[in-house]
Amino acid sequence: MSRILVVEDEKHLSDGLRFNLEAEKYEVQVVETGEAALELLAADSSPYDVVVLDVMLPGIDGFTVMSEMRSKGQFIPTLMLTARGHPEDVLKGFAAGADDYLSKPFELAILIARIRGLLRRREWLRASMNNTEGSAQGANASTHARGDVESVPAKSTDAFAFGDKSVDFDLLELRVREQVFPLTLMEVSVLRYLIRHEGTPVSRKKMLEEVWGLHEDTDTRAIDNFIVRLRRYIEDDPTRPRYLLTVRGVGYRFVAFPPEEK
Amino acid sequence: MVVAGRRKSIAFFIAMGAGLISVIILLYVGWVLFDWRTGILLFLGILLLAIIITGIVLNTTFLVREIRRNEQKDAFINAVTHELKTPVASIRLYLETLQTRSIDEDKRQEFYRTMLEDSERLLGTIEQILRTGRIGQSGRKLNLSRIDLGGVIEDCVNRARALYRVPAESLEFRSGPPLTIMGDLEEVRAAVSNLIDNAVKYSGHDVKVTIETAKVDDKYVSVRVRDQGPGIPHTELKQIFKRFHRVPGQLATRVKGTGLGLYIVRSVAKRHGGRAWAESAGPGQGSTFVLQLPIVK
Repeated sequence: MSRILVVEDEKHLSDGLRFNLEAEKYEVQVVETGEAALELLAADSSPYDVVVLDVMLPGIDGFTVMSEMRSKGQFIPTLMLTARGHPEDVLKGFAAGADDYLSKPFELAILIARIRGLLRRREWLRASMNNTEGSAQGANASTHARGDVESVPAKSTDAFAFGDKSVDFDLLELRVREQVFPLTLMEVSVLRYLIRHEGTPVSRKKMLEEVWGLHEDTDTRAIDNFIVRLRRYIEDDPTRPRYLLTVRGVGYRFVAFPPEEK
Repeated sequence: MVVAGRRKSIAFFIAMGAGLISVIILLYVGWVLFDWRTGILLFLGILLLAIIITGIVLNTTFLVREIRRNEQKDAFINAVTHELKTPVASIRLYLETLQTRSIDEDKRQEFYRTMLEDSERLLGTIEQILRTGRIGQSGRKLNLSRIDLGGVIEDCVNRARALYRVPAESLEFRSGPPLTIMGDLEEVRAAVSNLIDNAVKYSGHDVKVTIETAKVDDKYVSVRVRDQGPGIPHTELKQIFKRFHRVPGQLATRVKGTGLGLYIVRSVAKRHGGRAWAESAGPGQGSTFVLQLPIVK
């Protein structure tokens, strides 16, 4: 049974959420403050499968909770919930490390669908890890790639190496030479999508649909935000990208082996 | 981030004003030292200089004030958005739940109660906003009648007890002698309600609020609402009555509101020829709000 942590101080909302999520056969824990949520998450490394996080909380706000979680290495898929639906708020949420965002008032069915989506993505990541473990040295490569990046099989499902970098899709890590950067579930999903379409341009809209599962007119700038962050990790000079290229008027293109610069 | 940007622009305008004034003085002094033959020119120069300096000072003051005002409006819109959308989100959530799931009768009744409370809250916020608009209209007349102050307070106290589910001993009305005032019933009720709501909301879990009425002198009666809440810093005692103002820091995020309540209280007092103020020994010491209204002789 999947466990969901709901961080919401409005009692009526949290009661309603609890009732519905429990009816969906999830185990639900509700806390009223960001401080309590962080404490609970720190007590056990990942007892929860999804966090539903309100922004306007007493004490520290949801954005702060989000970035604290990520900086502490807690990469539990998180859906942010807020009354403020401005694009800049949405972007702020994603920048803090949120995986999804929903503004109040929300439709119950959509909320449940999004939570399912987050759980499903987590399952996919787990499943792809198990697949490669059975097949060959894939899982090995993912755990021992640090010193020996060359041995990572190209386009393996759970790890992918390009240049002196390698992404581990299960551990949600990106290794650049000796450095290891933790990635959020969404960052990994975006990167995986781009890698899967290596060499071909993908549009922002397509990414929104296939990575986020969004068909509404969501602001596509959220994607740009992710790209900026990914470039910071994988590009030697983020202002002159070589791997993650912008395709003007379309979207982005990932190039695993860019031509050497003279 | 936005706030930091605003601080920067306030500092920039003040610095620019100060810089310009010093350049002007420098140029002027230089000019006087080298060429001061004609008295008329000197006089004109001083006059012009005074005008320019006044202009810069006024410009800077207004800009800074405008930036502050914008900042407060932003905070207000955020707070109102939250106050309006949260109950709607809750009502919608329960309606959808009732629509899509089979629910037993007890639970159903509980959901109805929750939705009613949410609609009360929504209505409260809407009324607060509309009242602020009405009070702001100049020339709107008061609908005066003789009011039994004790009765009004009794009503407000009962409403607050039910709304916040606090026992009678936590929210206590010590009625003094019967007092009659001349006023607009709806406005006086709103003012008293706002004071009680604030006292309860800021008290946290341990509510201990007392309300007292007394005759101040031949002209005025006073309503004192005392709480054991977090208290008010000295610098904030006057500020809190301003429109949109909310005490900065942790307190405002812990207690939700629009920042209109006390503005309404003060406006109502003024329109009735009375006044309203706050007293507090400081943070952690609780606070007392006083509403003074003219008595009917």
